[in-house]
Amino acid sequence: MKRFLSVLLSVGLAATIMGGCNGNTTPTNASGTASTSGDATSSETASGDEASSAAAAEGASAKGKTFAIVTKAAGNPYNEKEADGFKQAIEQEGGTCIVKHPEAATADAQVSVIQSLISQKVDSICIAANDENALQASLQEAMQAGIKVSCLDSKTNKDSRQVFVNQAGTKEIGQALMDAVLDISGGSGDWAILSATSQAANQNAWIEAMKTVMKDAKYSKLNLVEVAYGDDEPQKSTDQTQALLSKYPNLKVICAPTTVGISAAAKVLQDKKSKVKLTGLGLPSEMAAYIGTDADHSCPYMFLWNPVELGQLGAYTSIALVNGTITGKAGDTFEAGKMANSPYKVVDAADGGTEIILGAPFKFDPSNIGEWKSVY
Amino acid sequence: MEEKSERIVSTGKKHGAKSFFSSWEFALAIIFIAVSAFCRAISPNYTPGNVLREMPKYLGEMFLLFPMAFILLMGDIDISVGSIVCLSATVSCFACNAGLPIPVVVLIGLLVGLLCGMLNGFILTTFVELPAMIVTLGTQIVYRGIAEIVLGSGGSISLKDTSGFNALAGKVGPFPYLFFLVILFAVAFAVVSAKTPFGRSLYAIGSNHNAAFYSGVKVQRVRFIVFSVTGAMAGLCAVFLTSTLFGANTTTGNGFEMDAIAMAVFGGISTAGGKGRLAGGIISAFIIICLRIGLGQINMNPQIILIILGILLITAVLVPNVSSKINARNTKNKVLTRK
Amino acid sequence: MPEQTPEKKQSLWKRITASREASLLLVLIVLCALIEIRSPEFLTFSNIGEILKNNAVIMIMSLGMLCVLLTGGIDISITSTLALSGMTVGMLFKYKVIQSTGLGFLIAIAIGAACGALIGVIVSRGGVMPIIATMGFMYIYRGLAYLIANSQWAGADALGSFTDFALSSSLGFGVINNVIMITILCYVVFFILLKWTKFGRSIYAIGSNREAAEISGTHVARVEFLVYLIMGLLAGLCGALSVTVYSSAQPNMVLGKEMDVIAACVIGGVSMSGGRGSVGGALLGSLILAVIAKALPLVGIDSIAQNTVKGIIILAVVILNVVTKRMMDRSNLERRKI
Repeated sequence: MKRFLSVLLSVGLAATIMGGCNGNTTPTNASGTASTSGDATSSETASGDEASSAAAAEGASAKGKTFAIVTKAAGNPYNEKEADGFKQAIEQEGGTCIVKHPEAATADAQVSVIQSLISQKVDSICIAANDENALQASLQEAMQAGIKVSCLDSKTNKDSRQVFVNQAGTKEIGQALMDAVLDISGGSGDWAILSATSQAANQNAWIEAMKTVMKDAKYSKLNLVEVAYGDDEPQKSTDQTQALLSKYPNLKVICAPTTVGISAAAKVLQDKKSKVKLTGLGLPSEMAAYIGTDADHSCPYMFLWNPVELGQLGAYTSIALVNGTITGKAGDTFEAGKMANSPYKVVDAADGGTEIILGAPFKFDPSNIGEWKSVY
Repeated sequence: MEEKSERIVSTGKKHGAKSFFSSWEFALAIIFIAVSAFCRAISPNYTPGNVLREMPKYLGEMFLLFPMAFILLMGDIDISVGSIVCLSATVSCFACNAGLPIPVVVLIGLLVGLLCGMLNGFILTTFVELPAMIVTLGTQIVYRGIAEIVLGSGGSISLKDTSGFNALAGKVGPFPYLFFLVILFAVAFAVVSAKTPFGRSLYAIGSNHNAAFYSGVKVQRVRFIVFSVTGAMAGLCAVFLTSTLFGANTTTGNGFEMDAIAMAVFGGISTAGGKGRLAGGIISAFIIICLRIGLGQINMNPQIILIILGILLITAVLVPNVSSKINARNTKNKVLTRK
Repeated sequence: MPEQTPEKKQSLWKRITASREASLLLVLIVLCALIEIRSPEFLTFSNIGEILKNNAVIMIMSLGMLCVLLTGGIDISITSTLALSGMTVGMLFKYKVIQSTGLGFLIAIAIGAACGALIGVIVSRGGVMPIIATMGFMYIYRGLAYLIANSQWAGADALGSFTDFALSSSLGFGVINNVIMITILCYVVFFILLKWTKFGRSIYAIGSNREAAEISGTHVARVEFLVYLIMGLLAGLCGALSVTVYSSAQPNMVLGKEMDVIAACVIGGVSMSGGRGSVGGALLGSLILAVIAKALPLVGIDSIAQNTVKGIIILAVVILNVVTKRMMDRSNLERRKI
């Protein structure tokens, strides 16, 4: 008797999973038919048809389309402003926007998000990748399903995307940071880098660029002693900064190309009234108390760009891809609403793929920090 | 006579429809149907095709659930499985990049997992006084640390040739190979736990390991075997994880042990040992997976999903406890008033 | 007439190794000496102060974890409680709802106590195993912390005068840093609590033999509830401390660090099955962990290998503990008069 009941129950469970196969919105019934899942494949090809019909539409209007943005992590104001800019632009153009933050700052969590978006049949995904290569399988699946994939802020490898929306040329960022280190250190001495996680694609790209720039004779007297990883956590960044200070007594400059790292290091240096100075990439709202050229302030100047604008550019890129205005190959141009440098042009990127550049990195120093700290 | 422990000793296996319908597994089955209906209602994209496509990532974690259930039945715990997954995935990636053929790579992954599990088992069975929590806490840190050292300063490694792992991620229709493998292992583990003497010895050890020892059960050998199998299954999980991520990094496998324990406990397996059935764990795993997929499809804040899972977990354990306490009080009253 | 065997005077060495705390102290002294030789700036006041300040959170939370472990339970939700209370206080300062540091601390402690109380009720009244209950609450409180943060952070600017607390020495008679002062106060309070109050003795009693304690009249459920409440309270306090030390409130604060607290207790000789352990042990355990973390880079072990070394040390300490206990038991058996 018990066995019969168990078998009946298992069939019922299986039926529940299979139920609703025809795409109707009626809720399933426990004693429903155990239909085959052959219909599943047809629902996936349908999304392909949707995308191609969208390409026939004209202009920058995004009406009726769904655009998704996937950030690097939840609970981070920089990512939040990116997503805000994206959402603003999409909704202005009449589209629907989905903002997804992964559960954790790992590629693993982003894979689940991408899979979920594929199921939701979105028209485009714009993603800031936590790992350059780990998302390839799922992003390729998305592209096969007809979804347009672009990256912003932190790129994937060239096979996982159609185009990369870069906040500022990787070489330009490396150059600007390297010049800052040269300037602040007085031309020679030890310096160190405090980065985010060791897999972060954007930070790694900038560090590589800095190392390439450093090969020039001008920087020969500078000595990079260590690249420390603060994992974008304030405690770990603080601990790493203190470790750097005690390990290298002749340290002159710390360069932190991450907003969490730079604000943690700034606090450590300023509290200790250290002679070591700081530069890097930081949010003006967090660094306002530490920017100054005198001995009381740890950071003479730093760089960043406007994450809201970056999100907006990501939005316009996604719209352009979905409408067919650009395909992601070099030479394409597209309008980006009311943005300052519109129309934008797609150029070749160093990794073999293509990218779109927002603009040059912006310098924050004591003269302008007051006005920018309330903006972002 | 007042029982020393809270558990009410049953006078024999209950048969019949009543025990079936009042069992925790049946309640779970009902919950599963309810959850599926709920997900279907809130998300039009919750179709079998989509669910099967989103499942592989979570299915890999189910490989950890089966041995973890065995460990919990014994009254032990193993929080190092996530790190074993990390180390195993790392070594497999290196092996693959070194040009070894995919069967060898899979074998290496399994071997690494097995070795880690055997180390756990060795330490636990040699130093019996040590609680499993502390030993696996230490090994958790060590295994992930070894993976960090192996990965070097980049902290991650990607596969150069993904064809081998791609084959693993293949599908038959909409069903990935992984799905069949999971069903296979589920049945195997369930049969072992319910129908074999080895399985009975697990329950015996969990209920009272001294009594089990004196009854002739080779307690330490059983523990060693279970921990080694856990390691091997973690290696298997790592291999399939690599087939979705095409790489490994220092955060691979983070939190897997908590997920596995949560799934097992939600399924009615008590961490005190000796209680629960694997079938419950399997159904609860599917409940949690489907809930996560469904809620993810309506773009619910992932933090809220976590909160819901937390509440579910606590309620799942709280409700039976409270109801059995009320039952016990009622029967005590009944017995007292009978005289 | 019964024979009087002369009482063998135990050698100093034997007495030290017999006491767990004494042997830990010896290990700590040896470690510090070795490091001092290697890099002479280690034992300066400012360096020691820095180590204490950075590890204050772990040190204070090990006190709470000590009480929980003594009753035979465990609490892995402490970092989530910390994040929740820290984040709430950070947000309150950011939106200028409160301005005073004292009020900030009070609110954080209150939130922590509430979180701990809820756990306490579920564990003591609901009969849920501590590992499961605290695992569930770990997810719940962390999720709440993210929700309260609403994707914002409270940075140095937003926190205003709250951050000065960690830099000033107003509570420490102008000499000792505030944070360190609070740590010292907590340790003194708990030392008195565990050694000289009935409540403290009942904690040990429950951990040693629960049924015996219950029959002896200890109100087990109430003590368990209070223990988790205290843990939550301390976690709340540490939340506020964390925010003021690092000048930043983020929802992912101290993610994953609960195992460090448990490790500190275990190294300090606290038994996970309950009934054994002391405040001194918890203190020494967390100090040893802190010193090791600081010492490893100085000794030349690459930062990448630090975690492995930490894990190996934990394993070595517990295994050594078991081995010495076995040796002691054996020598006790041999010395027994037959």
